[in-house]
Amino acid sequence: MLNNNSQIEKAVNSRSGPRVSRKPRGRLLPFLYLLPSALLLLVFMIVPIGYTFYLSFFNWNLIAPTKQFVGLANYVNVFTDPTNQKVILNTLVYIVLLVILNFIIPYFISLIVNFFIGKMKGPYKILFFIPSLFSLVVGAMLFSWILNPVSGPLALFLRDFGMKVPQWTNSGAMAIVVICLITNWKVFGYNFILLLTGLGAVPRNILDAATLDGIPKWRVIWNIVLPLNKGVAIYVFILTIVQGLQYVFTPINVITQGGPYYGSSNLLYHTYLNAFVLYKTGNASALATVTFVIFLILLFIEIKFVEGRKQDAD
Amino acid sequence: MTISHGLKRVIGLLSIVGVALLFAGCSKSAATKTTHITYWHVNAETQGGASVNKLVKEFNKTHKHIKVTAKYNPNMYQGLMQNLQSAQASGKVPDIVQVGWAFTNYFSDNFKYMTPTDAAQKFDKSKSAITNNFSTQSLSFAKNAKGKLVGLPYSLSTPILFTNDSMLAKYGIKKSSLSTWEGVQAAAKTIKQKSGNYGVYIQEPADTWAQQAMMLSNGAQIKNSAGKAAFASAQGVKAYQLYQDMVLKDKTAIHTPWAQGMDDFTNGKVAMAFTTVAQASHIKQSVSFKASSQIAPTFKGNKLTVPVGGSMLALTSQDSAKQKAAWTFEKWLYKNDSLLTWDKGTGYLPPTKTALDSAQFKKYLAANPMIKPATQELTNAVPWTSFPKNGLDAEQDMIDARDKILTGSNVAQTLKAAQEKINAQQ
Repeated sequence: MLNNNSQIEKAVNSRSGPRVSRKPRGRLLPFLYLLPSALLLLVFMIVPIGYTFYLSFFNWNLIAPTKQFVGLANYVNVFTDPTNQKVILNTLVYIVLLVILNFIIPYFISLIVNFFIGKMKGPYKILFFIPSLFSLVVGAMLFSWILNPVSGPLALFLRDFGMKVPQWTNSGAMAIVVICLITNWKVFGYNFILLLTGLGAVPRNILDAATLDGIPKWRVIWNIVLPLNKGVAIYVFILTIVQGLQYVFTPINVITQGGPYYGSSNLLYHTYLNAFVLYKTGNASALATVTFVIFLILLFIEIKFVEGRKQDAD
Repeated sequence: MTISHGLKRVIGLLSIVGVALLFAGCSKSAATKTTHITYWHVNAETQGGASVNKLVKEFNKTHKHIKVTAKYNPNMYQGLMQNLQSAQASGKVPDIVQVGWAFTNYFSDNFKYMTPTDAAQKFDKSKSAITNNFSTQSLSFAKNAKGKLVGLPYSLSTPILFTNDSMLAKYGIKKSSLSTWEGVQAAAKTIKQKSGNYGVYIQEPADTWAQQAMMLSNGAQIKNSAGKAAFASAQGVKAYQLYQDMVLKDKTAIHTPWAQGMDDFTNGKVAMAFTTVAQASHIKQSVSFKASSQIAPTFKGNKLTVPVGGSMLALTSQDSAKQKAAWTFEKWLYKNDSLLTWDKGTGYLPPTKTALDSAQFKKYLAANPMIKPATQELTNAVPWTSFPKNGLDAEQDMIDARDKILTGSNVAQTLKAAQEKINAQQ
């Protein structure tokens, strides 16, 4: 028999495993467990980010023994150089297009598949997911061949109907659209499955209750499903932008090399061009730091609006 | 106790790593007799990689005390330069590397290397034993802005005009009329009018090699004797103007990335392609029409001048024994048999006099007539322009100028702006 509270506490503690947190040596254990990932994070993330920030104040070609300190000149250059301005503008265009192609459209289709289509959900998932398994280099080469305006299969097919494929590699805007379509081919299935899984997690009883009350489907989606699925949606939204801008790098590199005249370049490709083609490490580091800050702001928004609200709700 | 259990595991793991290190040390000390060297190249399996492996295998078989390991670097010479930078930063450099002509000055300014002259002096006790086999002209390709020989020319290429003879014959165009750019322009117009197809594609990779060939063959200079950019001359402008007119006014030349442009030619949608001789075997394998090649066109009344493409071999070893081994390997690569294996596998032209004149190479040319015009051009070849300072920036400025001109910018103004930008950095 347990007579009083202290006895109960003792008994509970003895059953709940070793009391590591109370002993000084035991307190180290969680840190020891964290050490490998913390070390990896330090070596591969924090140190390089710090070093990039440091390099952004210098002119350096990556191997010369001396680095020339230039203060904020590289940052001034990021915002005043017409080429950089063009590239920043392109980056915004990429973001808008990527959000439409890789977030809004997959979301729309996942809603249709989840709420309006009864059968064939499995095959849809598989079909949409297949391209995610291929490398983007393969995708880029495939699209470059299919969409070749002069001798590609699409051009030959359209010729029979008296139509032409425009010379999309000669126009920055069209090249951006095609490059976004290539990443769309790759990312669509993955985003679709994430969003569909989110929709599947919406409690069935709420939906059933709404159906019983005779509420139209679009209202159920708008007022119940979308707010409940907000966490997943914003996660995919941020992923679309951050990962999408990195994904477009491959087709840019394979097909246009940022051309015509930086028309299809974006911040990430331009950073690469400066760093590893022209070896202007300072410029590249300043560009990378600006990109990093932009991503940081996006992450802040995600934390504030998604994870913050969740905590409030808890 | 959990901690002591964890500690035991850590100690166990450390001892395994220790034993592994010990064995690694043993293997190193046991192998002191053989010198291991690494050779960095840019040849993917489809671009002569097989012949690199064949050569290395053969060398290793015949040389017991040297073991060469070949390492493929993706993304051509630029990719190799990037990897070399990381290697230099980590202190573990390869022993022999291929350096693209456009990188000559960048390489010699930033990396430690042994010149072929020093290597010959040190290991053969003769300054000219190896260089004697090269013409003064081909050695000039491998010199930096200060006139110092950085490496030995290894792969040579020149731009030539490939033609779709079936299409030319169909529309009554004589191949002899294609020896001038004016003739090419007229032929392209005829093709466009009669068939709706494009007349010509001029290669547009991430360099302006082919465009430089056009300007040079109109008597323009890319760089003057003082090392300053000089391409915005009347001759340079005229050459680019004809190119712009063909693309924008006549709409007889396609402006498109390299891979697409070559597809258009091999699919029979363009009558002519002005590109490197290294495309010969790809064209031979891909076309279903009669294709041939001829010497690069010039502008009327001007002498043919083409920039040479390809690469040199440079010694980057820092250790004397390895330098000696790398030099032995390099000399072996320049033997006629080795060079022919290499050239057959890649489509490049041999850099030495003896290999060019050898019966084997002549036999190879007879079997591959598309390569012949390129060898004839070698006497008219000049080094690929490599600006002494900020050369990589300069190349990018020239690419930017090409992009602008082909989308409609004023030729004279654009070239002048690019020239001034380059010269401001010299």
